[in-house]
Amino acid sequence: MTATLAFGAPEAAVGRATFAALAARETRRFIVNPVFLFAVAIAGWTIWAGRDPAVTDIDTVNSYPAIFLGGFGMMATFWLTRSMRASEPVVGVTPVTRPTRTAALCAVAIVPFACGGVALLGFLHFHPVSGPAYGPFSTSARIAVLAGQIMVPALGGPLLGVALGRWVRFPGAALVLFLILYGWVTLVTILALWHPDSAPVAALRLFAPFAFFTTTGNTADVTAWRGSPWFFLGWQLALCAIAVLVALLRGAEGRVRLRIIRALAIGLMVALILFALAATGGFPHAVTA
Amino acid sequence: MVGSVLRAGAWPAVAGISCVAVVVGSCGAAFPPAATVLLPVCFALLAAAAAFTLDEPASLVVDVTPTTPARRTRIRATALLAPLTVGALVMLAAALRGVALPWAAAGLALAGNVLLGFAAACVARTRTGEPGPAAGTAVVLVLMAPSLVPQTARWVRTFPAPGAGGPSSDPVWWAVLAVCVVAIAISASGRTLPRWRASVVIPRHPGARTVMPNQARHRG
Repeated sequence: MTATLAFGAPEAAVGRATFAALAARETRRFIVNPVFLFAVAIAGWTIWAGRDPAVTDIDTVNSYPAIFLGGFGMMATFWLTRSMRASEPVVGVTPVTRPTRTAALCAVAIVPFACGGVALLGFLHFHPVSGPAYGPFSTSARIAVLAGQIMVPALGGPLLGVALGRWVRFPGAALVLFLILYGWVTLVTILALWHPDSAPVAALRLFAPFAFFTTTGNTADVTAWRGSPWFFLGWQLALCAIAVLVALLRGAEGRVRLRIIRALAIGLMVALILFALAATGGFPHAVTA
Repeated sequence: MVGSVLRAGAWPAVAGISCVAVVVGSCGAAFPPAATVLLPVCFALLAAAAAFTLDEPASLVVDVTPTTPARRTRIRATALLAPLTVGALVMLAAALRGVALPWAAAGLALAGNVLLGFAAACVARTRTGEPGPAAGTAVVLVLMAPSLVPQTARWVRTFPAPGAGGPSSDPVWWAVLAVCVVAIAISASGRTLPRWRASVVIPRHPGARTVMPNQARHRG
């Protein structure tokens, strides 16, 4: 028994060291990716360009970090994941399992997430949370709106890119998915502009990895739409967890595969519950401040 | 020859992206207020589909066959009918649904989008056998720039908006069409093997003469 314990601990330490080395290597590759560098530069520029204190609605400014850090980040991690496909016959025979390599790729998402955090701080610097551009939301709800629109998409996009790269062979998949998500968010936002009090439309608007919560319409007043920002944040994080699990499932075998499938089922259930709470929570109808 | 060149095309990619474009465009036609946002996305997807028409997984073999690049490009260009037809059908559906757009300018934008994707693929094809992913991504990002970064819409517009101020998209597309035609003509006529590939065929037995790919092509 003692011998077994003594043998197990160093093995785990070696596993952790291998994972850390892989994660560091993938992170280095990601940081120098031109698409990601462009995304960071343009996201920073859009935050700076939107510093005008006369902004009447935060939604005119805060979607850009999601588009660039999340959307472009998704494309960058998709290519990062696919770039190892050609060397799979060689890499596949190393002692490191594919789920470990996938986990190292997922760890890369920390970088855009941190960039999202910096973008959030920059946004708060230019648009203090007590300002009128946030509409009738409480202070905590305003923070949740910002975190869900700036930080979490910067995490979820790259994770989705890894999952997509692991499962989809088509090289243009990330690009097509980016356009589909962009089109979907635009469509449901326009629907919400036309039917601000409709519960089904609110559910459709929140059935996305990114959602707007306010609008100014044709007036100077900010209108807050239905839906709970906090539960929406939970729904987004659940989607992130699902993306990681789906990515890890590729190449997983034996007990690890069973565990991932079980966790995936739980994750899907939690996501559904959080989505229902997000759609039914918050204001019962559109409120104008 | 025509049949085999067409059969080798990346039809699943072209057809798949065109199908997604149909769905996005149909949503734009079904919800007229969203048409000015969704139709540009649809057209950008069609440009990406056009960028995949020149993909040639067996380019290492195909590039040294006697068929000239110009002829292969001409044959593959017929595949552009797919995205063009899809775009025309989407515009027809939108017009029937009462979407108010300057349709002549929208048609020009559709042709420009598709030709831009194809031209980018032609240029990239001189460097790689499968230019679709890179060319498609680059073209889509350029086409979507006015939507993704509204500041750029002040200077350039890639889709005609109904009765709105700001720059017209027509001059942009006429210029793009002209540049694309020139780029396609140059890349299809005078292109050589990609630079990163070996330019010398390794002799199989001692004393055999080294054969350059161009010579091998002429020998047929």
